[in-house]
Amino acid sequence: MKDKKKFQINKYIFISILSICFGIFVWWLVTDGLGIFRSNALPSPVKVFESFIKKWYETKPDGATLLEHLIASLQVALGGYVIGAVIGIPLGIFMAWNDKIDMCVRPVFDLVRTIPGVAWTSVMVTLVGIGFLSKALVIFISAMVAMVINSYSGIKQTKTVHLWVGQTFGASNWELLTKIAIPSALPMIFTGLDVALGSAWTTLVAAELLASTKGLGFMIQQARGIFRLDIVIVGMIVIAITGAVLSTIIQWLGRKMIKGGRT
Amino acid sequence: MAEKQKRVAFGALGIFIFLCIWYAATTLTSLGKVMPDPITVLAGFFTAFVEPIGTHSMIMHILVSLRRMLIPYFFGGVLGVLVGILMGWYKLADAILMPYIQMIRPIPPIAWIPLSIVWFGFDEGSKYFLIFLACFFTIALTTYNGVHSVDETLVRAARMLGAKDNQLFTSIVLPTTVPYIFSGLQVALGSAWATIVAAEMIRSSEGVGWLIISGQEVGNMTQIMVGIMAIALTGLLITSIMRGVESKLCAWTVRGK
Amino acid sequence: MANKEPKVRVQNLTKKFGDLLVLDNLNFEVEEGEFLCIVGPTGCGKTTFLNSLTRLYQPTAGEILVNGIPVDPKKQNISYIFQEYSSFPWLTVEQNIRFGLEIKKIPKEEADANVEEMLDIVGLTKFRNYYPSQLSISMLQRVAIARAFATKPELLLMDEPYGQLDIDLRFKLEDELIKLWKKTGTTVLFITHNIEEAVYLSQKIMVLTNKPTSVKTVLDNPLPLPRDVVSEEFVALRNKVTDLIKWW
Repeated sequence: MKDKKKFQINKYIFISILSICFGIFVWWLVTDGLGIFRSNALPSPVKVFESFIKKWYETKPDGATLLEHLIASLQVALGGYVIGAVIGIPLGIFMAWNDKIDMCVRPVFDLVRTIPGVAWTSVMVTLVGIGFLSKALVIFISAMVAMVINSYSGIKQTKTVHLWVGQTFGASNWELLTKIAIPSALPMIFTGLDVALGSAWTTLVAAELLASTKGLGFMIQQARGIFRLDIVIVGMIVIAITGAVLSTIIQWLGRKMIKGGRT
Repeated sequence: MAEKQKRVAFGALGIFIFLCIWYAATTLTSLGKVMPDPITVLAGFFTAFVEPIGTHSMIMHILVSLRRMLIPYFFGGVLGVLVGILMGWYKLADAILMPYIQMIRPIPPIAWIPLSIVWFGFDEGSKYFLIFLACFFTIALTTYNGVHSVDETLVRAARMLGAKDNQLFTSIVLPTTVPYIFSGLQVALGSAWATIVAAEMIRSSEGVGWLIISGQEVGNMTQIMVGIMAIALTGLLITSIMRGVESKLCAWTVRGK
Repeated sequence: MANKEPKVRVQNLTKKFGDLLVLDNLNFEVEEGEFLCIVGPTGCGKTTFLNSLTRLYQPTAGEILVNGIPVDPKKQNISYIFQEYSSFPWLTVEQNIRFGLEIKKIPKEEADANVEEMLDIVGLTKFRNYYPSQLSISMLQRVAIARAFATKPELLLMDEPYGQLDIDLRFKLEDELIKLWKKTGTTVLFITHNIEEAVYLSQKIMVLTNKPTSVKTVLDNPLPLPRDVVSEEFVALRNKVTDLIKWW
């Protein structure tokens, strides 16, 4: 019985691998195989793989290697993200904990959060010009918004009975917050860190497409201009992998930090 | 209720304080040289409804952006729900399609912009493609999770009572899945709106994203702020409508409230 | 006894939610070290009553004095065991039990000793490093009881703590509770809708009326401990209380 189940799971993994192989084969067939698509419309998988290897040491056509672009992007994204989290988490907690502040700030915040991060690019570029600072500011805003929303709802979801336990023991307001509300909101805060990371990374790509001289977004935009779609696809793959790796790190950190088997 | 009145009063106070700070910052400090004060922006926003910016009035810019967003949102939603249910219900479909979804989903929709321009040109086609991508994966995955959250014991109980597959589907799977679908639709709506703004900023000749970028090109901060205001208000409007629809249709879930 | 201040004195306690009158002018006293069970028809506002007593809800009118001064959890050593499962999921069993001691800033050695003692009494020493998600329902409630007793409270409030437990577990925990009460000499206010439980545990039984709630009567329960649930006296008292609660 157990063996049969194991076999079943293996069967589906096998189908998944087969499905991927088939997909890549079709991709190869319509490009290199039968030549239906030319490389400036859809490059073959072989070509994309070659470019992926080459781009690590070649600066052509956009003036920097893949690693340099990646580091440039990471610097901006993580810089804005960390500051966004450092300000956003306490702000969200504070808003949720203080009723009057909550009622005042909520409407303004609800309005600001509907503005996609990218839209701030124009404002920042006009204010401080194209460069590290304008992008970092845009990412800061979009990361902060996600952080505030999640830590806010984390604190709001604290069970009343948990607060009551603290109150009947005579805990002060500060103790209720730090010993009960924040630990109980921790899973949501980590969700926020993950969501904010996703939105920071997306916003970064957008900002780099729009206004930049380096970074992965810049690289794919430049490559598009000269119809080097192989490099565009390489860029997209690196963007996706980097985003996934960063998110995995946050989730791993969350599992380490969140006690008591809550996810 | 007194509580509600209090909420509204404090909310209004909050917005008022925010506008005051904005006003003071722009009229009293040197920030005013680059940033217009709120009255100018508000005036600019309302003037734009009668005096066109570029070739369109404000209402047309908003409608153009909404049309670009809603058409592919609809198709992405329908297809996403279908594929999500298919994958949730049939293991084989899951095994075949899931690897693709897992591989493509981490790519931000915005990163598809260069490729979509090459494939579909600068016109509506590339924007439809982007929005479709932005919606499809999110909705397919939340629907899939919804189908998977169906209580096994319920299904077994129904099977034992002789329910057929299609009965199982309409009476158990669908009611459990609908709240998930809605949360997917809600998330996708937000990401579609962000994507269309980005896409319009990169290449377009009208729409709310264009308002911002053309403002940036000529250094007109008022127009940028007017554009941002249009984006915020429209975004708020569509998500509220969506939430209203959700609470009507899934009155039985907590999320719907 | 006019010269001795009772442990708890409740005067004209009234609580309204909007226009809804829930508690209507409650007056009673509890002596030091007494075990008082509070029974009443379902939905009669028992929980509201206990929550008003600890100031979780602000009473609309009236006064609650503990040791002659208005009740304040910051000044008086009160513990509360709730109906819902209230263990903190992010703390281990041991940390949960220690929680009240930390809030009350009890010195470490004393706190350690109290925690060890409580772990031993509720039989969770082996599970000290487990998290609530790894425990069974009865263990969770034992954690809550240990947490409440660990601070050696002068007043312990319990709101149907065993309402959702199996009957054998309930008997076991009831015996444990009596053991703890005898050992610590704590004053206990115990709310329950289970009349048998009330007769089994209490020294006095307070019967509440239907909403708006007021005190119907207070009965003495002189049966010697440990009690036998099938003895004639026990059954007689149980029937008496049942008759008082009947509103049909």
